[in-house]
Amino acid sequence: MDDRAEMLGPEKAGRETAFSRPFADTAPAVAPAVGRRRGRGWMERSEVRSLYLLAAFLVAAYALPFVIGIRYGTVRWDAEWLGYLGTVVLSGFLQGGVYAMFAVGLTMIFGVMRIINAAHGEWVMMGAYLTWAAFFYLGVDPLLSLVFTLPIAFVFGMVVQKLLLNAVVGQPELTGLLVTFGLGLTMIYVAELIFTTDFRTIPYAPHSVQITDSIAVSQNKLISFTMALAISVGVYFLLKLTRIGKAIRATALNAEVAMVCGVNVGLIYLITTGIAASLAVAGGALVSIQFGFNPETGIIYTLQAFTIIILGGRGHYLGALIGGFMLAVLESLVSLMIPNGTAMVELAAYGLLIAVLLIRPGGLMGVKEG
Amino acid sequence: MTQREHLRNLALLGLLALGLLALPQGLSVYLTSFALFTMMYVVLALSWNIISGFTGYTSFGHVAFYGIGAYACAILVVDHGWSWVTTLFAGALVAGLVAVAIGYPVLRLKGPYFAIAMLGMAEGTRVVATVWDGLTHGGLGISFPSVENSTSTYYAMLVLMLITIAVAYLVAHSRFGIRLNAIREDEVAAEALGINVTRYKLLAFVLSAVFPAAAGGIQAYKVLYIEPQAVFFVQITIAMALMSMLGGKGTVIGPVIGAVLLYTAQELTWVNFPTAHLIAYGLFIIVVARFMPRGLIGFAIDRGWVRKGMVH
Amino acid sequence: MTQCVLRAVAALMALLVLVPAGRAEDRPKNEVLVGGAISQTGRFAEPAGRQVNAIKMWVDQVNSRGGLLGRKINLVLLDDKSDTQTAVKLYEKLITEDKVDVLLAPYSSAITEAVANINERYKMPFVAYGAASSPIWEKGRKYIFSIVAIAEDYQKGAVHLAKQIGVKRIAIIGEDSLFPRQSGIGAKQWADKLGLQVVLQENYPQKQTDFTALLQKIKAAGAEAIMSNSYFADAAAQVRQMRELNLYFKLFSGTVGPGLPQFAEQLGDSAEYILGFSQWEPLPDILKHPGMKEFIAEYEKRYGEKPNYHAGGTYGALQVTEAALKQAGSFDSQKLRDALASIETTTVFGRYKVNDKGMNDHEGLTFQILKGERRVVFPEQWAETKAKLPIPEWSKR
Repeated sequence: MDDRAEMLGPEKAGRETAFSRPFADTAPAVAPAVGRRRGRGWMERSEVRSLYLLAAFLVAAYALPFVIGIRYGTVRWDAEWLGYLGTVVLSGFLQGGVYAMFAVGLTMIFGVMRIINAAHGEWVMMGAYLTWAAFFYLGVDPLLSLVFTLPIAFVFGMVVQKLLLNAVVGQPELTGLLVTFGLGLTMIYVAELIFTTDFRTIPYAPHSVQITDSIAVSQNKLISFTMALAISVGVYFLLKLTRIGKAIRATALNAEVAMVCGVNVGLIYLITTGIAASLAVAGGALVSIQFGFNPETGIIYTLQAFTIIILGGRGHYLGALIGGFMLAVLESLVSLMIPNGTAMVELAAYGLLIAVLLIRPGGLMGVKEG
Repeated sequence: MTQREHLRNLALLGLLALGLLALPQGLSVYLTSFALFTMMYVVLALSWNIISGFTGYTSFGHVAFYGIGAYACAILVVDHGWSWVTTLFAGALVAGLVAVAIGYPVLRLKGPYFAIAMLGMAEGTRVVATVWDGLTHGGLGISFPSVENSTSTYYAMLVLMLITIAVAYLVAHSRFGIRLNAIREDEVAAEALGINVTRYKLLAFVLSAVFPAAAGGIQAYKVLYIEPQAVFFVQITIAMALMSMLGGKGTVIGPVIGAVLLYTAQELTWVNFPTAHLIAYGLFIIVVARFMPRGLIGFAIDRGWVRKGMVH
Repeated sequence: MTQCVLRAVAALMALLVLVPAGRAEDRPKNEVLVGGAISQTGRFAEPAGRQVNAIKMWVDQVNSRGGLLGRKINLVLLDDKSDTQTAVKLYEKLITEDKVDVLLAPYSSAITEAVANINERYKMPFVAYGAASSPIWEKGRKYIFSIVAIAEDYQKGAVHLAKQIGVKRIAIIGEDSLFPRQSGIGAKQWADKLGLQVVLQENYPQKQTDFTALLQKIKAAGAEAIMSNSYFADAAAQVRQMRELNLYFKLFSGTVGPGLPQFAEQLGDSAEYILGFSQWEPLPDILKHPGMKEFIAEYEKRYGEKPNYHAGGTYGALQVTEAALKQAGSFDSQKLRDALASIETTTVFGRYKVNDKGMNDHEGLTFQILKGERRVVFPEQWAETKAKLPIPEWSKR
C-alpha cells in the first residue's frame, strides 16, 4: 500500500488511502517537530522509514525469545520440540483471532469518535456472563445464544452512546477515559452483585483436535476462531460494501464533512457503538467457552485490546486483525521459550505497546499521527 | 495576582499547616491515618495536575511513580538498612530519573496516545516489579519490621503536602506555569513563540513524578507491607485524575478540594455499604466526568461565586 | 478567593471533627465488641465469603447460649476491599477507635502480613485463620497465632504420592503472589527431601487464563507431574487446557482450587483424578474431631452447602478464641494473648497447640477428586481410599 502511495504522489495517495482503508485517519498530522521543519515529501519518506523501523523492531521482538531460549537451552530443534512450538504458535494464532475481533470494536469507537473505551473489557465480560446465563439457566448452546445476545449488545451500545458518549465526543481525552472507566467499574460491581465474584466456566467442546502427530489444538479454540473469523469478515464487508459502512468510514475520516454531505452523524455514532458493543459481546461469548471468568477479568481484555489497536493502527480494521495475531503469537513464544516467561508475557505486551507508540504512533497500517 | 494576595495565600497555607500540625494530639490513631491518607491524595492529585492539568498531557499511568517510590523505600529500608526518611529522597530521585528517561520519548506523543503509553508504562512497571525477583522479591512482597510510625509518617506526609502545595502554587504563578498553560492551549503556537516545549514538558513531567514517589515511600512505611498489586493499582491513577477533575484541574486549589472531598466521601460510605459503594463510585466518576469537566471551581466561576483568575 | 479557601479549610476541619463525633457511642456494659475486617469485595471476596459465613454463625450461636463470659457479642465486620492499605487503616480504626474487645483476623496471607504489624503494636492478639505463609510467624511476633497448616505443606501429600508412583521429574508452577509462592517453595523442599527432580519452576501473573504455552513448556522439560500452586480459575484453566491439548501427566495437584465445590461441578469429568489440598474436610467419621457433626449440620442448614475448610478453619479459630477467653477469665488482651499461647484444645478443625513462634502444628489433607467427590488420600491415617494414580491417559477415560 505504501509503495503505491509513494508512486501516486501525495494528493492522490491521500484519496487512495481514504478509500482503501476503512477508518484511516487523515486528521491534521500532529508531531509538529517533524512536520513543520520539513516538507511534505520528507514526511512521506519518514513515514516509510518508520514503517521499516517498526518492522525491524518486530522482527527483533520475535527473534528475542528464540535467542534467549537458545541461551538457556529451552529451545531444542528436535522434532518433538518443534511439535510443541507448532502447537503453541497455532493456538496463539487462533487466540489472536478472538482478541482481534473485540479489538476491532475498540478501534471503531476510537476511529469514529476519538474516544478510548476503557470499559471495553467489561463489555467482553458482559458477553461472557450473558452467554453463561443463557447456557446455565436456559440451556442454550453458547454459540446459538449469539442470536439474541448480539441484538441485546447492539441496543446496549446505542444506549451507552446516547446517554454517555455523545456528550464526550470532541472533549479532551481524559473525559472519555474517565466516563468509560466509570462505566466499567459500575458494570464490574453490578455483575458482582448479581453473579458474585465466583469464577464461572462453560464446559464446551473439551476435546483436542490432532492436526499432525505432534500438533494439537483444542476444539473450542478452533470453534472460537472460526466464529470470530466469520463475524469479522461479515463486519468487514458490512463496512466495505453497504451504505451504512460507507457513512461510518466517512464519519471516521471527517465528521464535519460527512455531515455536510448528508450523513446523519448522530445515527452513525449510535450504530458504531452498537456494532462495537456487539463485537465485544461476541468476543465475550467466544472467550467464555475457553476460559474461566469473573466480574474482574475484564481489565486484561481492555489492555490487550489497547495493545492490539495501537499495533494495528487507530481505526484500522485489518490492522486490528493483524495486531491481534501478532500479539497473541508473541505472547505464546515468550511464554514457551523464556525462563519464567509466563510471568513476562505482560511485559512483552506492554513493551510492544510502548515501542510501537514511540516508533510509529500510527501503528502498522495507520498513517502518521502524533 | 497582587503581592497582597500572595501574602494572604501564604498565610492561609501557614494556618492550614498549623492546624494540621496540632491535629494528631487531638485525634485517635485511626483519624490520624485518615488525615494522612487524605494528605497523600492531595499530593497525588496535585502532582498529577502539574503534568495533566497545567500542561494538558493526560497521564493515565501516574501510579507508576507512586509505586516506584514505595519500592525504593521498602528495598532500601529492609534490604539495605537505610533510614526511612532518606529513602524518600532516594525514591523521588529514582522516580525523577525514570520520568526523564521515559518522558523524553513519550512526551512527544499527543492526547490519547500519551494516555495509553502511560497506562502501558505503569502496567509494565508493575510487571517489572513482579518479575525482577532479586530486587523486589516479586509477588512475595516486602514486609518491614514492625515499628511505631503513625505520628512520624503523619508529619512526613504533612511536610510533603505543604511542599507540594507550595511548588504547585509557585508553578502556577510563575512564567514557567504560564508557559505550561500555553503548551496546553496550543503547543504549535507555543513553540512558534520560542518556548522550548520539550524542555518545559519534561520539567513539568519530572516535577509531577517526584512528589508521588515520596508519597509512595511514606505510604509504604505506614502500611509496612507492599506488593506489586497493591502499589501499582490502576485505580490510584484514576483517583488522581478524578480528584483533580472534581475540584477543577488546572488550578491549585481544585485538586486539593477534590482530594479532600472525594476521599472523605469514600471513607464515610464504603464502610457501611461495601458493594453499593463501589457501584456508586463508578457512577460518580461518570457524573463528574460527564457533567463537570471543569470541576467545582469551574462550577463556582460559572455561578459568579468566585472570580476567574483568582482561584489558582 | 479568601472565602473559597476558608470554606474549604473550614469544611476539612469540620469533617475531621464531625467524623469522630458521629462515632463516639457508649457501649452497653453487657456487650462485648468483636471486630475484624475481611475482604467482602475485590479479589479475595470469594474465599473470604465463607469465612464471613462461619463468623456470623458462631456469633449467633454464642449469643444464643449466653454470650462470651456472659456478655452478648456485638459484631463489627468491615470490608477491606482486598486492599492492604485499607486493611491497615481499618485495623487501626477497630483497635483505637471502636476499641474492640476481641479482634478477628483478615483474609489472605498478604493482608495478614500487613495487619500483623498493627495488632502487634497495640498488643491485640488474634488467631489467623486466613493466612498460611510461614514468614508471618518468623519475625518474632507475639500477638498472632496460626491455626491452619502452613503454605509450605500444601504440596506435601502430592509430592509423597508422586514419589510412591515412581515419578522422578516434576514441574512446580504457581501464581506470583505471596501464598502460592510460599507453597511452591515448600513443594521444592519436599521434592528435594524425597529425591524428586524439579525440572521447571515458574510463576505466572495473576489473572493468567491461557496456559497453552506453559503446559507445552512443562511437557518439553520432561516433567511427569505438575504441582500447581493455584487458586480456582488458574487451576481449572490448567486442567481444561491439559485435556484440550491432549497433554498427559501422571499426576496433577492443585492447591486451593480443587477444594472448592465449583471445581468438580464446572469441570465435570476433566476434574477426575486431580489432587488438591484441604486444610480440613467435613468428614466427621474420618477426622473424628468433637462437635464436627453439629457444626456441619448447622452450617448446611444456614447456607445450603457443606462448609469447606475456610469455614471450618474460621470456626475452629473462633472456638479457640472462646476457649482462651474462658481460660483468661476476662477480655484483657494480655491475658487473652497468654491463654492463646499456652492453651491446648481441640476444635471442629482439629487440635490447637502453638509452638513458641505462635504456629499451630495442623496437619492438612490431600484429596483426590473421584467420581466428582473429594476423597482424602493422604495422610494415611485419615485416608478414605487409596489414591488412583497415575492418572489414566485422556484417551482411555
